[in-house]
Amino acid sequence: MKARLLITTAAAMFALSFAAGGASAAGKWDGGDDLPTNPIACEAGAVAPAAAPKPYDGGQPTNPPNLAGKKISVVDVPKLIGIGYFNATAQGMQEAAKELGNITVKTDGPTEAKIDEQIRFIDNYITSGVDGVLFAANDPVAISPVLKKALSKGIHVIGYDANSNPDAREWFFNQADFNAIGKTMMDSMAKEIGEDGGFAIVTSTFTTPNQARWIHEMQDYAAKCHPKMQWLETVEAQEDNNLSFNQATTLINKYGDKLKGLFGMTSVATPASAEAVTKAGQCGKIAVVGLATPNAMKPYVHSGCVKSVILWNPIDLGYAATYAMRAAADGKLKPGSTSVDAGRLGKLNIINGSEILLGPPFVWTKDNIDKFDF
Amino acid sequence: MSAAIEAGVWRAPRWLKQHETLLAIILIIALVSLGAFNNRFLTVENLLDQGRFITETGLIALPMTFVIITGGIDLSVGAIVGLCAIMLGYSWKTFGFPLPLAIIFALFVGAVAGFVNGYVITRVRVPPLIMTIATLALYRGLAEGVSQAHSVRGYPDWFYFLGQGSVFGVPTQLLLLAALIVVAGVALDRTTFGRALYAVGANETAARFSALPVDRVKLIVYTLSGLASGLAAWVLVSRVTTTRMDMGIGYELDVIAAVVLGGASIFGGSGTIWGTVIGLVMIQLLKNGLALTGVKGDATIVVIGVALILSVLIASSLQRRRD
Repeated sequence: MKARLLITTAAAMFALSFAAGGASAAGKWDGGDDLPTNPIACEAGAVAPAAAPKPYDGGQPTNPPNLAGKKISVVDVPKLIGIGYFNATAQGMQEAAKELGNITVKTDGPTEAKIDEQIRFIDNYITSGVDGVLFAANDPVAISPVLKKALSKGIHVIGYDANSNPDAREWFFNQADFNAIGKTMMDSMAKEIGEDGGFAIVTSTFTTPNQARWIHEMQDYAAKCHPKMQWLETVEAQEDNNLSFNQATTLINKYGDKLKGLFGMTSVATPASAEAVTKAGQCGKIAVVGLATPNAMKPYVHSGCVKSVILWNPIDLGYAATYAMRAAADGKLKPGSTSVDAGRLGKLNIINGSEILLGPPFVWTKDNIDKFDF
Repeated sequence: MSAAIEAGVWRAPRWLKQHETLLAIILIIALVSLGAFNNRFLTVENLLDQGRFITETGLIALPMTFVIITGGIDLSVGAIVGLCAIMLGYSWKTFGFPLPLAIIFALFVGAVAGFVNGYVITRVRVPPLIMTIATLALYRGLAEGVSQAHSVRGYPDWFYFLGQGSVFGVPTQLLLLAALIVVAGVALDRTTFGRALYAVGANETAARFSALPVDRVKLIVYTLSGLASGLAAWVLVSRVTTTRMDMGIGYELDVIAAVVLGGASIFGGSGTIWGTVIGLVMIQLLKNGLALTGVKGDATIVVIGVALILSVLIASSLQRRRD
């Protein structure tokens, strides 16, 4: 009897302490990260002012072997395999490999976006002796120790899509400026739902680096240029189709009329949110704006449910990353370089110390979406 | 016996027919053939490195062996890992505990979580499967709620020694696992506690009527399961240098696979630490060896599945011959 009382009290205190801890209010939108932002000016078409050049802040491989001109084998470990977006980046890498002729790229990764699995994949490839690793990180801090291990073994490490800690890789391919994405997303949504609409966000996880950056940039841009728009909630859907659909449907049911727009932050969340809006019969009443590959969104754009789809060209992203890997292995791309030659994309500039920018985000609408096939 | 020998039939000695021995033989064959395919697989460096990845699952597999021997199961271990990882980081960052105290707090949280499992299973008589599925969701939800999905990073350098350092060339966490394997093996084989576990698993009613402290024994194994999950969480955070609330998802399946592969019957009453260790090593080295040979990720999962099925078939055919 006494034991039962003691246990119950302990359990209650246990639960209460958690409740108290979790009840502290967050000041910013859920899903945003803590890095500083740089919102662009509010006018349409404004671009970010050129940032002051930063010194190189990446990591370098220790005693890399001299591979200039030699055949190299590279492994690409994306966040997960089996979704259209990373199929497209892998396709770009194969195109570049074919053009260059002296590099082979193998894409292998976990079937779910889990950082622990991704670490094991990279570790196995380090042991099997690849010359280079291309990665898109599920978690920027957790992936850094294994990437540093790769660098210490003389392996070249280049990231794309989702960054790690800067000193754990040589270069990072940023598909589009984070603040440009923030501006494009918020402006598209404001155009569809008006300056005082309420919206919710469906993202991958709150700690995925690129989604977290975009959400933070969106928040600060909205505070500056669309202050009356209401952020309702951010939910996680982990790049899973079913979960994204369920989460979007839950949001529609939970907020009812208050919800005027849904943001999809991943190429899986956006079509799933569009499907949820279509199934709920809310096409035209709830706007869906998000990042997605054109093929996945064609049915919704043609039905009028979705007006604009934002992305960059992931095929170009994989293509350019492969060219950069070849240049790094040849010794042509090193700290102090200001640009890299990226085949059919021309010369791409190096910004922010060790980031390479692909270009501005691209917006697909009913008029141009049929011209693309990925 | 001599009549059988005279008839020309050779009966294999008993130890050869044991599940663990067969498994060890299969393991050696697998290692040698994978080593033949890829010359980087059987290097000391690679094997020790894999030790890092084995440790978290291994730490939890030890008390899980105890739990399964008693005829129970604990599906909430992965969620307890996530909860303890979050409590480690959160108590350090937000409550302001000094880091050693935060570590002890995380272990304490794991033990309490396991204790709650054990208490409800023994006092309220909820079947272990149902209780631990419920706490799987409960603890994961607590981890999400407490952390608000924020990670905790920036630990001091000494903290990473457990997950990333080595002592005399052997990864630190592997030494920890080895020590605990010895302790668990001795406890199971040579103490009355261990004997009681087998008795409870074989026939709980008979054990109760034999005046064995059945409820206390069960409570202890579930608490140990939670404590081991806390320990695994500490090693994990030290290895990946950050806490995430989705840590540990899926661990329960890897752990149970290792224990069952090692010969423990899911209905209770049999199993050894030695078998669990072989099962653990087999799964991890299979995954690693196949990856090094160039087999892609999804195919490795298929091979692990086939290995599990084969092992269960062998175990059940041995069981039938014994009966």
